Amino acid sequence: MKTLFDTLRAWIADLVDGWNRFWFAPADPATLGLIRIFAGAMLFYTHLVWSLDLGAFFGTGGWLPEGAVELLQKDSYSWSYLWWLQDSPALLWICHLLGLVVFAMLTVGLFSRVVSVLALFIALAYVHRVPGALFGLDQINVMLAMYLAVGPCGDAFSLDRWLAERRAGGPLPVRESWSANLAIRLIQIHLCIIYLFAGMAKLTGPAWWDGTAMWMALGNMEYQSLDMTWLAEWPRLINVMTHVTLFWELSYSALIWPRQTRGVVLALAIPLHMGIAICLGMVTFGLAMLIANVAFVPSPLIRRLWPKRGTEQGRGPAVAKSSTARPSATPNRGASSSKR
Amino acid sequence: MTTAGNTLALIQTPRPAVRAAVSVLVALHLFAVFLGPWAMPPASDLAVESARIFQPYLDVLSLANGYRFFAPEPGPSHLVRYEVTLADGTLKTGEFPDRQVHRPRLLYHRYFMLSEFINTLGNPDAPGERAEAFAKGYARHLADEYDARSVRLFLRRHYVPRSGEVRQGMRLSDKALYDERPLAVYTRDES
Repeated sequence: MKTLFDTLRAWIADLVDGWNRFWFAPADPATLGLIRIFAGAMLFYTHLVWSLDLGAFFGTGGWLPEGAVELLQKDSYSWSYLWWLQDSPALLWICHLLGLVVFAMLTVGLFSRVVSVLALFIALAYVHRVPGALFGLDQINVMLAMYLAVGPCGDAFSLDRWLAERRAGGPLPVRESWSANLAIRLIQIHLCIIYLFAGMAKLTGPAWWDGTAMWMALGNMEYQSLDMTWLAEWPRLINVMTHVTLFWELSYSALIWPRQTRGVVLALAIPLHMGIAICLGMVTFGLAMLIANVAFVPSPLIRRLWPKRGTEQGRGPAVAKSSTARPSATPNRGASSSKR
Repeated sequence: MTTAGNTLALIQTPRPAVRAAVSVLVALHLFAVFLGPWAMPPASDLAVESARIFQPYLDVLSLANGYRFFAPEPGPSHLVRYEVTLADGTLKTGEFPDRQVHRPRLLYHRYFMLSEFINTLGNPDAPGERAEAFAKGYARHLADEYDARSVRLFLRRHYVPRSGEVRQGMRLSDKALYDERPLAVYTRDES
């Protein structure tokens, strides 16, 4: 007869096994590689736009002077190297341009391991320097940069990969790794936390209950980039949009995991974030959220959609164990990507 | 290693000791990620005290975010209107954000956040010293930009009309939807 102790031990073993599978099953870096391209491009563009008013935001006598920011960050551990550069426009510009080069290198995947860490460091420096000029875009940019620095983001769809294949004289095997899986899992969980709190915070607002919140957003002239005031004639439609948005955010962290509901949740992310992009003038933020959602797109699908070079036509990224490989701690059930 | 039509990959998994160490780090990190929004005011003592322990980590990685997009509900927006008096006494006025001036849209949004930010600092619950310091910073920047003698700032609140009001013909830019309060006065003599 099974004792309580045996049952408990089996339960814990199952739990540990599940944990290990979730975090450490090797994964194809295709998803991470695609996120690197999009997030790198977004980081590049975000910082390129700072160039238009670099001195006004980051120089001495700018909008956000040192004394004021110090008051805000008095008990904070926020730090930015940009404070050292504010007195010298030339130095500020040189470092800014170097930062742009780093983001460009991240986008194309050149020296990815190093530039991913540098990109995070630079993105954080900008965020810590101008706390009064930030919005959701910056939070998502930093989040993605953080996890790109964790995983081998240059192992797919990158110049690093292309150069390695050139050196090897032909296509190299897909380099599955547990750290690629780890990085993707971290993005997924972080994204769930974001949506959960975004939804919960809305529960305290009457407009999200009475169904008028979407009108209040779309009718805000300062946000508006597409005139949606015709919706005033369709109050029930506004109600539907409001309630769907709230339920979607609240349920995202639960419904994104089962395969049966994941597609619907991801499909709804597109109109929601593109709506923010097109109607509320926050193209960058809307796209950044969609880029983060790519973490739930399985690698095989990305491989299928990725344009193939001549030599790769018709060849899938089939995976098998090599004799030189260390045995997997848990069975490789088609890699973690299929379970996402 | 390549075989007919298939690419073979090396399967690498971490050693148990590495797994254990990474697991602890992951758990701590995710707890910190959760703490960021959980400890945003209004928050329980438990959340605030937990966040205090993780504060260096939250600050350094910029994780102390509420993620309260359009919450508790999309409200009125805030703009900063300014009156700049030049050395010869000429008065110039302007406002930010200004979509005619601040382009592309991301730059416009940076200016929009400047005006929204000063409103959040001006909340009666928040310390006035900070709002004053930032308002003075804005004014001083404008004084430098225009080489002005003095600058006066006003915070404009732009309410959103109800859908019924728009149905009856009200425009989003209707003057009745704005109110304004003085924000700061800055003169060159000030340090």
